[in-house]
Amino acid sequence: MTMVAFAYGFIWLAVFSYIFMVSRRLGRLTSEMDELRRRIDRLKP
Amino acid sequence: MPTMPNQTRATSPGFLVLCALTAALFMIACKAIADAPREIVMGVVQKIFYFHVPCAWLLMVSTLVCAGGSMAYLFGGSERGDRVAVAASELGVLFGLCVLVSGPLWAKAAWGVYWQWEARLTSSLLLWLMLVAYVLARRYGGASARKLAAALALFAAIDIPLVYFSVRFFRSIHPQTTVVSTLGPGMKGAFWLSLLAFTCLWGILFSVRVATESAYARLIDLEILLDQTEEKKP
Repeated sequence: MTMVAFAYGFIWLAVFSYIFMVSRRLGRLTSEMDELRRRIDRLKP
Repeated sequence: MPTMPNQTRATSPGFLVLCALTAALFMIACKAIADAPREIVMGVVQKIFYFHVPCAWLLMVSTLVCAGGSMAYLFGGSERGDRVAVAASELGVLFGLCVLVSGPLWAKAAWGVYWQWEARLTSSLLLWLMLVAYVLARRYGGASARKLAAALALFAAIDIPLVYFSVRFFRSIHPQTTVVSTLGPGMKGAFWLSLLAFTCLWGILFSVRVATESAYARLIDLEILLDQTEEKKP
């Protein structure tokens, strides 16, 4: 039973860690987009 | 003229439906796995099978998608193909790691050892290492590593038939590919539900990663354009 719990636990941990990494990347993307918007706004006459 | 990336697929209704469907499928699959009868010889440890095999399936799917995208990039110059390959390679590494951890845990209980250098296990490890090499080359190799990584993805795809058929053509203690058809009634339903749930999860993660890569590519185009405009402005 320990092996089953460890295997299932590891798979869920790996999947959620990856989701966390992807969400962090999305966060960085959003902040870069905001910065770009600010730069575009500054260029507007 | 590149357009501003204003939204990802994460906000579309179809994507939210897929997320809800996947969550529901996982809940039903977990219940089915818990209710599935215990295998007579191996006992409860056989239940690793319900997560191990879908992960192995997704390792192969990811590698094939990565190779397809790489081929489109190498021979057709498709940027989208390249982004698809990057997304698929990461998922291949993720699900490959799950296979390579859950498999030895099952093996320890079933065979008495964590690892055997036999054809199925060795070729699976080789496949995973090639995907890891792809991801590392793309992350740290710069723009010049794109073609090298794409070629590596094609080599990884060549390993797939070897992984799949290794249990038929080589002497192996790993279960045969026909094991699914021999499952009992309660086991079969649990297995197919788990496979479907994992495949939907793969679809979600893949679409998010492709959308992120596409948004980054457009963002870089816009930044270059903006730099040029700022230089011209008096």
